[in-house]
Amino acid sequence: MLKLNQVNTHIGGLHIIQDVSLNIEKGEFVALLGSNGAGKTTLFRTIAGVLKPKTGSIELDGVAIDKLPVHKIVEMGLVLCPQGRQLFPELSVQKNLLLGAFPLRGDKTRIQKNLDKVYDLFPILRERTFQQAGTFSGGEQQMLAIARALMGEPRLLLLDEPSMGLAPLIVKQIGEVIENINHEMDTTVFLSEQNANMALNITDRGYVLESGRCTLEGPCDELKKDEKVRKAYIGA
Amino acid sequence: MELFLQQVFNGIMFGSTYAIVALGLTLVMGILHIPNFAHGHLYMLGGYITYLFVATLGLGYWPSLLIAIVVLGFVGIIMEAVVYRPLNEQPHINAFIAAIGALLVLESAVEVIWGPQGMRVPNPYPHTFEFLGIIMSVQRLLVIFGAILLIVLLHLFLKKTLTGTTIEAVAQNREGAMLNGINVNRVSSLTFFISSGTAAVAASFIAPIFVISPAMGAIIGMKAFIIVLLGGMGSIPGAIIGGYFLGLIESLGGGYVSAAYKDVIAFGALIVIFSIKPTGLFGKKEG
Repeated sequence: MLKLNQVNTHIGGLHIIQDVSLNIEKGEFVALLGSNGAGKTTLFRTIAGVLKPKTGSIELDGVAIDKLPVHKIVEMGLVLCPQGRQLFPELSVQKNLLLGAFPLRGDKTRIQKNLDKVYDLFPILRERTFQQAGTFSGGEQQMLAIARALMGEPRLLLLDEPSMGLAPLIVKQIGEVIENINHEMDTTVFLSEQNANMALNITDRGYVLESGRCTLEGPCDELKKDEKVRKAYIGA
Repeated sequence: MELFLQQVFNGIMFGSTYAIVALGLTLVMGILHIPNFAHGHLYMLGGYITYLFVATLGLGYWPSLLIAIVVLGFVGIIMEAVVYRPLNEQPHINAFIAAIGALLVLESAVEVIWGPQGMRVPNPYPHTFEFLGIIMSVQRLLVIFGAILLIVLLHLFLKKTLTGTTIEAVAQNREGAMLNGINVNRVSSLTFFISSGTAAVAASFIAPIFVISPAMGAIIGMKAFIIVLLGGMGSIPGAIIGGYFLGLIESLGGGYVSAAYKDVIAFGALIVIFSIKPTGLFGKKEG
C-alpha cells in the first residue's frame, strides 16, 4: 500500500532522513520506533507531503505521491495525525471535526455517520461538541486530533506520537482506540512512538529509526527480544 | 444637541467605511500573518474603477459597483499569487518590503492613468433631507446600511459555511488545515478576493460623497492598520468596533474642537488606549 524507496529529506541544509526504504501492506498495523530526534516526525511529514524528499520515491497504491501537494495526498486516503495535534484552537469540537471531513465535503449522510462513529469512539467529545478545542487538556486534544483525522475516512492513517506528554492511563486508553481503528475500521495504521512498550504491544511489526536511518525491522515479538531495542527503548 | 447628533451620524458613516476596510485587512492578516500594507491602495483603486465605469463610460452606479468588486477581487488574487505567495517560506520582513513595493506600483499606476488631482464620481442619490435636525443624504444612508449588510453577510459566510470556516482554519493553523485536505493556496486566493472586493465596496460607496485621489490609499491604509491594532490583531469584532470607534472620535473631535485636529485627536486616543491595554481592545495574549 505504502512504499518508500531510498528516501532522503533535508531541512535547512541538514540531511535528516537518510536512504529510508519501507513497505506497508493494506490492513497492517506497523510501528515506527526511535528516540527523540531520530527523525520520526520528519519522516512522517515527508510521507504526508508537508516536506518534499530530495531524492527517492514514495508510492501510495503504486502511484507516486512525493511531488503531490498535501491536500491531494489526503484526498487519496493518506492522513497524518500530526505531532502537536495542530488543532484549530478557537473553533468548536464540531467545527474541527467537520473540517476533518473536508475531503468528503457535500456528502452529508457520510459525514454524519462518521461524526456518530467518532463520538462513539470518544464519548467525551460528544459532551463537549460546542466547546473551543483550545480549552481542552492534552489528552482530550489528542483524542480530538485522532477523531478529526478519522473524519476523512483515511485508508492509511499515520499517527505521530499520540502518547506524547500524556498520563499513563490516557496512553492506555488511546492505545486501545488505535487498535480498534485498525481492527474494526479496516484502516491501515502506521504509528510513530517513543513509548516502545505501548507500540510493540499493539502493533504487528515495526521499524527502528536511528539518526535518520532505518537500522532494524521485524515482527514485534522479535523486536521485543532484541537486545538493542530492550536497552534503548524499553529500559529492561 | 443637533451638532452632537450630526457629528454622530457623520462618525457612523466614516466608521462604516473604516470598519469594512479594516475587516478586509484583518482577514488577510490571519492568512499572511503580516498586514497587507497595500490594502488601502486596493481601496483607492476600487474608487477609480467605479469612476471609470460611472463617469467615463457612463454605466449606471450599481453595475459599476459590481464591476469594481470583481475587478478588485481579481487584483487581490493576482497580488497574493505574485507578491506574497513566492515569499511564503521567507522571513516576514521580505513580505513587508514586497507590500510597500506593491502599494507604490498601485499608486503610481493610478497617477499615470488618471493624474494626481482629485476626481468626483457623480452622486447617484444626491437627495438630502432632515431628520431629528440631522441633515442626511440617501447616499450617506447607503454607506451606513450597506456596510451593516456587508458585515452581516460576511459574518454568516465565515461562521455558517464550510468554505468560510476554512478561512478561519487556515488562519488558526495553516499546517493543520493542509493536513485536513484543505488547499491552502486556494483559501489564500479566496481571502484576498473577499478582502479586496469588500475594499472596493467601501470605496464605491463613499466615492460619490468625497473626491478620490491617488493619495487617499495611503491615508485609509494607515487608518485601517491602526484600527486592526486597536481592535486586537486578527480579531474580526475588534476590527468592526475599532472602525466605528475611530470614525466617531474623528467626527466628534473634528466637530467640537477643530476639523484640523481630527487626526491628532484620533491618534492621541489610540496612544492612550495602547498605554492602558497594549494588546488592543479585543487582543489576545501572545502564545
